[in-house]
Amino acid sequence: MVQINLPQNSKIQKGKYYKDKTGSKNIRKVNIYRWDPSNQENPRIDTYEVDMDNCPSKVLDLLNKIKNEIDPSIAYRRSCAHGVCGSCAMNMDGKNGLACTKPHKEIDGDINIYPLPHLKVQKDLIGDLSTLYKQYESVEPWLKISKKDDTKENLQSIEDRSKLDGLYECIMCACCSTSCPSYWWNGDKYLGPAVLLQAYRWIIDSRDEDRKDRLKKVADELKLYRCHTIMNCTNACPKGLNPAKAIAEIKKMLITN
Amino acid sequence: MKDNNPLSPHIQIYNWHISSLVSICHRITGIINITIITLICFWVSVLLLGNSNYEVIQNFFQTFLGKFIIIFTIWSFSFQILSEIRHLFWDLGFGFELKISNITGLLVIFGSFILTVFIFILGRS
Repeated sequence: MVQINLPQNSKIQKGKYYKDKTGSKNIRKVNIYRWDPSNQENPRIDTYEVDMDNCPSKVLDLLNKIKNEIDPSIAYRRSCAHGVCGSCAMNMDGKNGLACTKPHKEIDGDINIYPLPHLKVQKDLIGDLSTLYKQYESVEPWLKISKKDDTKENLQSIEDRSKLDGLYECIMCACCSTSCPSYWWNGDKYLGPAVLLQAYRWIIDSRDEDRKDRLKKVADELKLYRCHTIMNCTNACPKGLNPAKAIAEIKKMLITN
Repeated sequence: MKDNNPLSPHIQIYNWHISSLVSICHRITGIINITIITLICFWVSVLLLGNSNYEVIQNFFQTFLGKFIIIFTIWSFSFQILSEIRHLFWDLGFGFELKISNITGLLVIFGSFILTVFIFILGRS
């Protein structure tokens, strides 16, 4: 269901203001979404003044600096810091991306940081992705083959392998799915771009023997056809992949096969 | 506890892209067009009742509001047609690259205005 307004308990309030203490002249304001599960208060936006002379280039570095030097209570996910693990996916400057690969220089004015859109917040910038993981499980993202001969290599031609390019690179950071308005309104039923791209990755794999069943399972008014080619997913993907095209390819296969 | 967790902001904070703008306009013009087609059907049926009815509506179309509605209708149909052509190409599997989709999106937006002027002038002469 389309629900434009946020529910009552999610309305954002004005938060604290942390003034700069270093006396630096190169200051930027960083607005960060905060919510503490230990009390009953609504989420708030805290503003931090950050000394940019001593801050490395990426938004994640900025967050680390705030956590280390200004406010240790702030919570966010991060791990590899090289755009490989997908943990630090968040909404920066109105667009989803990985904090570790997004330079803060690209953002004009104040830096606004929110959790990924339309998720249940667990704390501060951490959203609950369990629905997405369940949907991922539902497309059975593993190779299905009947022969049990483990002694031989399962060969794939160069052409067949190249069909997986632009699909296998997906790190499941959920930037695309949480950028999709269709997924916001129908997230419980519509699979979303991330999971559909994964579904296509197994449908198109030449070694997989379950193609027909996979297609049949995904061909559903709600699971697949809620995609209206809004293209927010492709705009958001930090790895430069194209979930919109993958979804269109599934739709095409369903008609032509 | 789960129900108590707030929902993170979505449409309030998310940037508009060309593609999302064209997509929502496609939907809105679609709804407007079906309403307008229904109204046109009513208009045609009303003509069966005689000359005076024709004049009332004819006079309405001469007013500023009437002209605005006509031009808006032409734009709405132009936009829908161009956007639908874009969708047809997508359905064939073409035009998904970010650059191309941005260009075709802009073509739809500007093209709809150009087409509006063109149809309006063609209709007057």
